[in-house]
Amino acid sequence: MKAFFEKIKNNDFYKMWFKDALPYVTGAVLLSVFQIVTFSTTGNPWGVSGVFANWGAWLFELVGGSVEKWFYFSSPGAQATLEAGFLNDPGTWRNLGIIAGALFAAMMASGFKIKKIKSFRQVIAAALGGLLMGYGARIAFGCNIGALFSGIASLSLSGWVFAAFMFAGAIIGSKLLVKYFM
Amino acid sequence: MAKEVELDCMGEACPIPLIKTEKALEELEVGDTLIVLIDHSCAMKNVPEWARKQGHEVELEEVDDGEWECYIEKMK
Repeated sequence: MKAFFEKIKNNDFYKMWFKDALPYVTGAVLLSVFQIVTFSTTGNPWGVSGVFANWGAWLFELVGGSVEKWFYFSSPGAQATLEAGFLNDPGTWRNLGIIAGALFAAMMASGFKIKKIKSFRQVIAAALGGLLMGYGARIAFGCNIGALFSGIASLSLSGWVFAAFMFAGAIIGSKLLVKYFM
Repeated sequence: MAKEVELDCMGEACPIPLIKTEKALEELEVGDTLIVLIDHSCAMKNVPEWARKQGHEVELEEVDDGEWECYIEKMK
């Protein structure tokens, strides 16, 4: 494997496609194109975090729980998605694709590394941040993809409101980061 | 005498390596070199980018899979 990467290391196409990061504009155009593809094939705009809530529900059902009475899953649409199952949800495949694609990209750039955890503080911050983001994304009915990107792309005012408050949150988060991690 | 200082940012995520680099560079004299150790691919991009914009001499070296050393020579 090492020899293979040694051989292609200086190839211009390898550098352009795999090693170097794509320019922001290229990324933006690709995201827009795939947003359109997603919307036209699945009938829904792109979303990420809602799928994780469904994964949670399926996991819960797997161990014998039931979310039938939960308000969050009470709409006919949500019930239909849960009924169809894990493997029949387009979102499931899209999220799995994102994870596999990110892994593939990191490996192709020979940038994959299992990192050491630096401190217990980092663990707490990561867990706390993840829980808050997950909770926030569900009560806002979307994350920075579903509510922001897809919202603005649908010409919905809610996307812009989300953007304003996400910006404010990022400022507060940065201040906290400097205070506790520097 | 120009000196070399190492800044260990292994295991740190964005934007901590960048903020640490800014602070460490402030303490150095013109002509000194700061070596930032990074294993976060977004820091590998924004640390050299910031330093170049500031007018410093920058070199990025890939030392292992997902590990980089960013050499920043303070120019002003």
